[in-house]
Amino acid sequence: MLKAMVKRALDHDSDTLLLKKTLLCIDKEAVNKSRGNLIEDDGLDWLKPRALLKPDDQEDVPEADLEEEVGRVLTTINPQWVSYEVAYHYGQGKFVTKPKPTFGKAYPLYVFQGTAIRKDSDEAKAQLAAGYEDVAEEEKPAAAPDEEPIKDVDEAATEADVEAAAEEAEAEEKEATEISGEGAVEIKPRVRKLANQFNFCERAALTYNFPRRSVDTQTIPPPRANYGSTALQSIIFDYYQEDYARKMREKEDEKPKRLRKKTTKLVKSAQQIHDEYLAQRIREAWAILERLVNQNIYDDIAQDYKYWDDPSDEFREGMGSLLPLWKFQFEPMRSHAVCDLQWNPHYKDLFAVAYGSLDFTNQQKNGCLCLYTIKNPAFPEYSVITESPVICLDIYKETPYLICVGLYDGNVCVYNAQLNLESSYQYKSDSVRDKHSNIVWEVRWGARMIDGEASFFSISGDGRVVQWAVMPGELQATTIITLTSNMPPIPGPDGTMVTVNSCGSCICFHPEKAEIFLVGTEDGMIHTCSLKYNRNYVRSVQGHHMPVYRINYNNYNNSIYASCSGDWRVKIWEDGRDEPLFMFELGAPVGDVKWAPYSSTVFAACTADGKVFVYDLNVDKYRPICIQAVVSRKTKKLTRLDFKHEVAGHRLRGHKGNMSRIEAISKFKSHV
Amino acid sequence: MAEEGGGGGGTITEKVIHTYPLIRHSDMSEEMRTEAMELSVTACEKFAQNNELAARMVKESMDKKFGPAFHVVVGESYGFEITYECTTICYMYFGGNQAVCIWKCS
Repeated sequence: MLKAMVKRALDHDSDTLLLKKTLLCIDKEAVNKSRGNLIEDDGLDWLKPRALLKPDDQEDVPEADLEEEVGRVLTTINPQWVSYEVAYHYGQGKFVTKPKPTFGKAYPLYVFQGTAIRKDSDEAKAQLAAGYEDVAEEEKPAAAPDEEPIKDVDEAATEADVEAAAEEAEAEEKEATEISGEGAVEIKPRVRKLANQFNFCERAALTYNFPRRSVDTQTIPPPRANYGSTALQSIIFDYYQEDYARKMREKEDEKPKRLRKKTTKLVKSAQQIHDEYLAQRIREAWAILERLVNQNIYDDIAQDYKYWDDPSDEFREGMGSLLPLWKFQFEPMRSHAVCDLQWNPHYKDLFAVAYGSLDFTNQQKNGCLCLYTIKNPAFPEYSVITESPVICLDIYKETPYLICVGLYDGNVCVYNAQLNLESSYQYKSDSVRDKHSNIVWEVRWGARMIDGEASFFSISGDGRVVQWAVMPGELQATTIITLTSNMPPIPGPDGTMVTVNSCGSCICFHPEKAEIFLVGTEDGMIHTCSLKYNRNYVRSVQGHHMPVYRINYNNYNNSIYASCSGDWRVKIWEDGRDEPLFMFELGAPVGDVKWAPYSSTVFAACTADGKVFVYDLNVDKYRPICIQAVVSRKTKKLTRLDFKHEVAGHRLRGHKGNMSRIEAISKFKSHV
Repeated sequence: MAEEGGGGGGTITEKVIHTYPLIRHSDMSEEMRTEAMELSVTACEKFAQNNELAARMVKESMDKKFGPAFHVVVGESYGFEITYECTTICYMYFGGNQAVCIWKCS
């Protein structure tokens, strides 16, 4: 076909030679192309047969026809194009010519419908006519409201001719900008949005609209109530009267209550008085009866006490003996030890006993203060149970019913033996503020104070000597001296230095010089102290090697005193000397030593093994004039003794510890 | 126990005029009642001749202290029937001849 076309094209060329060559070239090319599908390699052409394959039904064309040259011309006109295409129009029911596309025969491959349409299209015109332009024009009035009438006219006029309207509107815009001139508002050129009705989308997005709900609560209204009344002068007055009367009644009610209480108390106390009186009478009667019985029972002992004369004394030159007389026992205090006892200085038959405990590992919980009379050995005249074991006591000489006691827990009390037992102690030291922090080892009444109050002194294991003034209703404590020891201060746990007090164990006042007193300590020192110096000792003597138990001044020579100690020794001292005058070894810890009240040379001591030693230095400076085992040494020991005053024969009383028996050992016959 | 002074005679002391504040009816709290009482006494003494001013003073003070809408009536002779919020009423007498009613209702 290419050959034919070339032939046609070069139809009128005179140069046949050129034609021939061209045709040859084309031929060759055609052959190459036809074979090219089968054989890739051009170099192998020659192997192929040159015969042309012809389809069977190919029309035979004579050679002449083939040789005939047909001229062909290339033009720009598409011979296939149908200039008038016709299609059947169903609406009109006939064939109509299709509109001629201006761009020629084109086949749309992809159609995308835009959102804008041409302004001059029919649809746009229709939209404009339908008033869509209003939307665009709405923007204007705010900017230039004064133009509106003109615009309205324009719109009305230009609805038909959109083009003209648009132009006019633009013209108006220009005018508007000119009118507003330099106005702050810049008027944008009008843009008419022409929306494609079928594919229209605004830029703004619509969000989901939540359904509306209304939730409200209502509180319960505050409760209300109604009240009504009438205020009249009469009502007001009456109510005042009523209220006043009520007040008066209340006052009256209160008064009788108090009165009633008082009267009932009085009535009761009258009854009580009667009862007590009756009880007292009965008690007295029983006491007399008891005395009678006891007098009969113990008559021989009383006789012995008064008149006993040991016939064996005749054979023992310079020796004496002790005769046990009564034995006092208080059953509730069976397990207690007698820690102190003292004859009453006024009532000759009465003596006081302190029940405590000296077994410090197994301490009793309570103690007892008893008053015994030798007329009734069976039962104490007065006994009062204390909260803590009683360690020491002293009877006030001026008012012999006042007894001060020192307790195991460090308290001191004053008991009034005249009061009934319910009232218990009359005074007691303050348990918190003043009391000793250790056992009170000895108490001694002192002289009256300047303003007339009685006072007593106590010495305790905490190393303090305290003076107690018996004020009305209370005891007032004054620390007289704190016993210092020679030991250096011990470093405490937190770096502080703890000074060590030496423990006081006994105290003894000078019979004449009221401000001088001796203090014995548990480390064996005997300090002479004065009430006037609360820092220093007047004198200090290393008296013993063991705790000093008791110190006693001689009743006749005020510079002589005796001391006894746990180192088994009794020493006789003179003031101002560092060495003792006499020293006696008794073979057991010596619990007590006492000078006889009737002689300047006689003293007695009791030891823990149950013996009583009586010395008369006038008779024998080295040996006792009497040694007598008062109690069996195994189970009991003597703790304290006291001489009975002013009795011709002396009267010695040992008391025994560990069991609560007190034996009145008596009738020591002195042989001079 | 004052009697009516009608006896004439020597019973001069019988005619006792009580002037202390006296609560006739109240369900206020202790604190509020004390406050109301003191306010009434102060107001009535301050405006002895003008009950209106006294009532206004009590009302305004109570409004400030315990929130608004208090109502106060001060007078010597009147009757009333009111609705009040509970725990806010105080009906008292003062000075022997005045009745003060304080309540709240909003």
